Amino acid sequence: MQIHPSLRNLLQRFWDIAGGVSVRSKILGIVLGLVLLLGLGITVQVRQALTQTMAAQLAEQSVSVARDLAARSTDLILLNDLFALHRLLQETKANNQNVAYAFLLDSQGHVLASTFGETFPVDLITANPIEPTAHHRTLIFATNQGYVWDTAVPILEGQVGVARVGLSDTSLRATLTTITNQLLLTTALVSLIGVTAATFLTWILTRPILDLAQAAQAVARGDFTQRVKRWANDEIGELATAFNQMVGELAKADEIRREREILRRQLLEKVIVTQEEERKRIARELHDSTSQTLTSLIMGLKVMESSCSDLNIQLQAHDLRQIAAQTLEEVHDLAMQLRPRLLDDLGLRAALERLVKEWQMRHRLSIDLMYHVPHERLPDVVETALYRIIQEALTNVARHAQARNVSVLIEQRGEELVAVVEDDGVGFDISRIEMGDSAQAHLGLAGMQERAALLGGTITFESEIGRGTSIYIQLPIPKAEENEVENYDFARG
Amino acid sequence: MKSKTTILLADDHAVLRAGLRLLLSQEAHLEVIGEAESGLETLRLAEELQPDLILLDISMPGLNGLEAISLLRKRVPQTRILILTMHDDVHYLRQALQNGASGYVLKKAADVELLSAIQAVMQGEIYVHSSMTRSLLEDILPVAQSTPPEQWDLLSEREKEVLRLVAYGYTSQEIADQLGLSAKTIETYRARGMEKLGLSSRAALVRFALSKGLISAE
Repeated sequence: MQIHPSLRNLLQRFWDIAGGVSVRSKILGIVLGLVLLLGLGITVQVRQALTQTMAAQLAEQSVSVARDLAARSTDLILLNDLFALHRLLQETKANNQNVAYAFLLDSQGHVLASTFGETFPVDLITANPIEPTAHHRTLIFATNQGYVWDTAVPILEGQVGVARVGLSDTSLRATLTTITNQLLLTTALVSLIGVTAATFLTWILTRPILDLAQAAQAVARGDFTQRVKRWANDEIGELATAFNQMVGELAKADEIRREREILRRQLLEKVIVTQEEERKRIARELHDSTSQTLTSLIMGLKVMESSCSDLNIQLQAHDLRQIAAQTLEEVHDLAMQLRPRLLDDLGLRAALERLVKEWQMRHRLSIDLMYHVPHERLPDVVETALYRIIQEALTNVARHAQARNVSVLIEQRGEELVAVVEDDGVGFDISRIEMGDSAQAHLGLAGMQERAALLGGTITFESEIGRGTSIYIQLPIPKAEENEVENYDFARG
Repeated sequence: MKSKTTILLADDHAVLRAGLRLLLSQEAHLEVIGEAESGLETLRLAEELQPDLILLDISMPGLNGLEAISLLRKRVPQTRILILTMHDDVHYLRQALQNGASGYVLKKAADVELLSAIQAVMQGEIYVHSSMTRSLLEDILPVAQSTPPEQWDLLSEREKEVLRLVAYGYTSQEIADQLGLSAKTIETYRARGMEKLGLSSRAALVRFALSKGLISAE
């Protein structure tokens, strides 16, 4: 369906205004509009009806007054008693306040007597001519003082003269004005009462809604203890009950989520610890058992090689020794990759120096390691976590960064350890990684974050395409370790 | 002068000790007079047997090899100690030599080097496996690093402030928030300051800052 653009604009503007104001204003608008429309409508209607009725009455009155005047003046005209005629006219005017004027004409059309005094408007005589045989004739004149109902009645069929009476609507208009004013006043009063009542009603209506809005905001912030009061048993009361139910469910769901999160954390911690233990065990096994056996084998072959006189066997023993040596080397590397013994024996610094050296050789990177931590050793978990995180960071650098210089910095800042791995490589768009653009890289970064989080630490990435990447690791130094260090320092001091 | 060099084997792996015994038995002037499986046993046997030489492994249960060296030096000072180990890291080497070992041979090279190492040590020399001498020297010699010129004072106050915070390991965003600037501006200050100082990395900056006392660890 097509709506004309200008009409749509108009609708839009109306909606902008109607939708923009508060519910209170809307209800007030409705009430006020209704009362005013009703009041004005009734006023107009009453005025019209009243005007019609009163005009008809005025016309009748005018006829009856004129006829009465004609009847009473007949004898007086015949007697030519001008004084009595004059008094009759005055009396007629005095008896009826609507009477504007009255006068009598003789059969030739001359004025016998009138209520005008000296200044008789001559035009008036010919304004309402009447046939002698007519019963009466009423005309409505528009004058500068309103409408005048002028009635002419012939006296004795015009043989004696004509009686003329004019009735003005002045008092009619005054009555109309009074009634109109009264109606308008009533309308205003009713409007006032309506507005007051509407204000009260909207307060009753909007207060629970505002309560709900406030509670919803609190819930959005994570406060699930919020409940709203059910003010009334209406639809809004229903809404309040439903809202409370929903918050209750949300709180339950949140509790479950929290428990799951704790469980997940514990599981993750266990997985990491188990993995580390397992690696340690295998590395130790390779180092302690396999390597020693291979070494022994190499030495045995050496003895065989030097003690045997057969050249063929000598050569074979030599070759076998080379193979065994190669295997030993591989086993050694494997153990190193799984878990450097150095980390347990000599600590993070030595392990990192070793790692950096190895990485430099393997990936042709220049890595500048700066380790500045006053404590000789850090707690096992911290050393392992930092080692693994930095290992992962360096792996990422080697894989993705195309960097030439890498800086690895570990230092203590107040109560926490800060590690920074920074490269001058190609960088990446952090938002894309966080959106899961590259699942692999995402997993690596997430793994680092989880490891740090388990120790109450955080990892921050800063990168920009073409400007390298910085990875910041912050880990709190565990309290127990601090006490130890304090004691240590104390003992030293 | 004794005719034979008496040797105590200290290693917790029986199979390795058997191999060693076999290898050493080929040499007429060497005689294995005892085998120990742990650090403590090594101490006990060394005092009891007074060998000329102990072939000592670093990783042993209980008292480890590195710790055993110092004790052995005190209790049997005339006995020479030759480390025979899997660990090819310079940190172990340094520690062993500091504690008083006379030589350091890697097990993977034992077949080739052990006999000459024993000979060298018994002649009063220090023997270190050839592949490790370089790392040891690197460790001892001062690293040839470009000492940045004294240009710290040429930096603007803002640059100094930014570099100090960078050295403390703050993220660009944290520095930006602290100084009420944008992260981009911080990067610019940092790059300019580092260039003035002739420093190429954050680690180098920290080293510089520590040497100049511009930051402290606490």
